Amino acid sequence: MKRIFIAIIASLMVLALLPGCSPRSEYVVGIGQFGPHASLDNCREGFIAGLAEEGIVEGENLTIDYQDANFDGGTSNLIASAFVSSKVDLICGIATPMAQAAYNAAEGKIPVIFTAVTDPVMAGITEGNITGTSDMLPVEAQLKLIRALMPDATKIGIMYTTSEVNSESAIAVYEDLADDYGFDIITSGISVSADIPLAIDGLLAKVDCITNLTDNTVVGSLPIILEAANEKGIPVFGSEIEQVKIGCAAAEGLEYYELGKQTGKMAAKVLKGEAEASDIPYEIISESFLYINSTVMAELGLTLPSDMADRAEDVAE
Amino acid sequence: MDMLISILEQGLIFAIIAMGVYITYKILDFPDLSVDGTYPLGAAITATMIASGINPLLAMLAAIAAGAAAGLVTGLIHVKLKVRDLLSGIITMTALYSVNLHIAGKANLPIFNTTTIFNNGIVNTIFPAFLEPYKTLIIIFLVALAAKLLLDWYLKTKSGYLLRAVGDNPAVVTSLANDKGTIKIIGLMISNALVALAGSVMCQQQRFFEVQMGIGTIVIGLAAVIIGITLFRKLRRVKPTTAVAVGSILYKACVALAITYGLSATDMKLVTAVLFLLILVIAMERRSRRKKLA
Repeated sequence: MKRIFIAIIASLMVLALLPGCSPRSEYVVGIGQFGPHASLDNCREGFIAGLAEEGIVEGENLTIDYQDANFDGGTSNLIASAFVSSKVDLICGIATPMAQAAYNAAEGKIPVIFTAVTDPVMAGITEGNITGTSDMLPVEAQLKLIRALMPDATKIGIMYTTSEVNSESAIAVYEDLADDYGFDIITSGISVSADIPLAIDGLLAKVDCITNLTDNTVVGSLPIILEAANEKGIPVFGSEIEQVKIGCAAAEGLEYYELGKQTGKMAAKVLKGEAEASDIPYEIISESFLYINSTVMAELGLTLPSDMADRAEDVAE
Repeated sequence: MDMLISILEQGLIFAIIAMGVYITYKILDFPDLSVDGTYPLGAAITATMIASGINPLLAMLAAIAAGAAAGLVTGLIHVKLKVRDLLSGIITMTALYSVNLHIAGKANLPIFNTTTIFNNGIVNTIFPAFLEPYKTLIIIFLVALAAKLLLDWYLKTKSGYLLRAVGDNPAVVTSLANDKGTIKIIGLMISNALVALAGSVMCQQQRFFEVQMGIGTIVIGLAAVIIGITLFRKLRRVKPTTAVAVGSILYKACVALAITYGLSATDMKLVTAVLFLLILVIAMERRSRRKKLA
């Protein structure tokens, strides 16, 4: 049995050394995604669509090597090195750790375009042969929305995972802007999803409403939060369309597909040689989309002012 | 070729972890889960110190010291408070998560464009241009080699012999009028110091600290130890430290292969688990056969 095992390992090693051989298209792009996640998937599809709009079409003049790191840092590094060793023309890093791994492996030799990175400055990826788009939440629009729906509210609760740096950045923005709209931000940090049922009761006792970030752990357990909040009649606001669909009252959110598309267009410029990645500043998506769940809003007795109602998309089922 | 370099870089960094895990798992028979916390601990300390402009070598020494301290905590919990081995490790690992966040100040701390052991005045001048692509690999190799030689040397000292005796035959230790608890604690300290060193090197290689980077460290460490020891069982001349280092490189090669040849990421952990089980079963089968012969 041991011999078989050694034989397998040995033959795998030999295979590893064989260069991958496939006909090369005009453009080869490596897309590294930090993990399987609906928003990140939308980002990737948008990215490919953005490239296509600029005439760089998968299957025609573009080959895409797509890899997913399954939320593992070590795997991110290996994926990034694999892209560099196969000499792709451009690396697209989706989500912060993947973008950092790509930036580190490329060492400026291959342009890196990132997307779904909330705070590129904090992540240290603004200098050099790299650019991309940030998915910083439209915090100000969200605060306006909450103020419009709840004129008397003063305390907004936010639950976040202490290991997610994106959440920390978003909270910093919330705390900065909250005063302007007469709100206090009350945060509750958790470390794993198992903490949520306990933390949510503590948080609900102190706030008038809850607003969500794009925190992966918290969003993953959103149904628990919604159930506890509904029991107390406390509204929960989301940060993207999917959250409103499953029961948040409303959200000023990002459309990740659009974000990806914007990123794809930036990548096309770099691929065509129209601009260097180092010369393009990273972009923040300017437009936010208003989603509402009319069923949930009616249950909570919330009404949207008519000026906002015009641009709201009702996603209630 | 770049891929091979990357495999060797990652493999050698994890070889340092494997040596640490070898001490606890193989010598002390102590399944020490604290490494899931001490690996990022080494990285957190290194990133924080380097970001504030401190010499990377000092940062590495601080990481080693902190790792040893964490090992001491696990050891004290187990020996003095009589908590079971597995649980002592889990307690330390859990506590270190918060400690690491406090040290780094945030969940993700980049150290791009800073002075590290891979990027500093001396290193950048002594390496000739043709060696430039291998610079990182050579430095990692030297660190891993130093760790290996030191550990080999230590295991031959009196203290090292006692350490080995604690796992194999605790009665001998007691009869030699030594406290086996103290020896266990020393073993845990050395083990976690090595793991924190690996965290420090990894953080400088990837140039950022990420609080989640420790998850699954023990699994990779154990896999490396078991692959290495199983492969080199018959070759008695090969030192166990070398064997586990080779095991670690093989493990990383398998992961790289799986990625290169399009294994879906969703299946990655499942494949790892199956591979791990396979190795364990093979290792176990040999052990029972050996017992029968004896």
